Amino acid sequence: MTTAITVPDDLWEGDGEGVITAWLVDDGAEVAQGDLVAEVMVEKAQYEIEAPVSGVLTIAKQEDEVVAKGTPIASLDA
Amino acid sequence: MAGPLDFSSMTLQHPTVEEGLVAEEALLDMVCQGEASLGWLAWSPRDRGLVMPRRHERLAGFPEARDRLVEQAWPIRFRSTGGTPVPQSPSVVNLALAVRCHVGGSAAHLEWGYHRLGDPWCDWLADLGVTSADLGPVPGAYCDGRFNVRIGGRKLVGTAQRWRRVRGCRDMALLVHGAMQVGDTPEALVAVVNAFQDAIDDPQRFQAASHVALRDVLPDLDLETAIPGLLKRLVTSKDVAPI
Repeated sequence: MTTAITVPDDLWEGDGEGVITAWLVDDGAEVAQGDLVAEVMVEKAQYEIEAPVSGVLTIAKQEDEVVAKGTPIASLDA
Repeated sequence: MAGPLDFSSMTLQHPTVEEGLVAEEALLDMVCQGEASLGWLAWSPRDRGLVMPRRHERLAGFPEARDRLVEQAWPIRFRSTGGTPVPQSPSVVNLALAVRCHVGGSAAHLEWGYHRLGDPWCDWLADLGVTSADLGPVPGAYCDGRFNVRIGGRKLVGTAQRWRRVRGCRDMALLVHGAMQVGDTPEALVAVVNAFQDAIDDPQRFQAASHVALRDVLPDLDLETAIPGLLKRLVTSKDVAPI
């Protein structure tokens, strides 16, 4: 089963875009639910992104890529 | 305690830059661990450094820039909040507020966070007689954003945030931070950031005229006695009732 990791859509108002500032685990790594996997910056605010489930991480958006709210940035295969 | 610093003290503390940054992280951790729903810290470093998010380490030319800044006695340090390089020195006062927020409520987005810090800051300035303070962008300022505390359109306080999930639930913890230039000249601090820009071969340069120091508008203010008043405003704001 594959689960998407998305940029949260309820943490800031408006249509402002963010940028992925860091991946904290490598592509292909196995992560546990709740592990911190990435950071996204929007208007000088850093958001920590956690793994919603456990699984093997496949990164879809790279560091420094611009992302909108709700954008899938990676997936986890259980 | 966070190393040499007291959390939620009403006095201005004087750690090193590194100790202050570590303490801000610990303040956020405290809220994330559920140990408190509100915490704060006011500090002014006793040494100096150029502080930036760690992603700047990926810039081409960063190692050379780091060496050049060390030669100028402005060592580079990393912070956990967003933005771009900011000088820290005894001429800067930092206030950090960590707040637990319900996701989906009105207090769980970045705009609220900036107003939560910036509005009381403007009110504090108004009480001191500075009635032209507001929040907004400042073209030409380093680490510009939409929520600087401005005086007459010049940047006095730069603001930034970090958000982290509270352990074991959907609540979020917010660390919102403000760095206020209190002394020195805007030219002196802008020159440090521009030296970094030059060292990484970035053509963007910042303007001293876009910044203002608190001493320029309140030359007789005693910070050690004035900062507790700012902290009290931040802590007792009606929007920050612990959940």
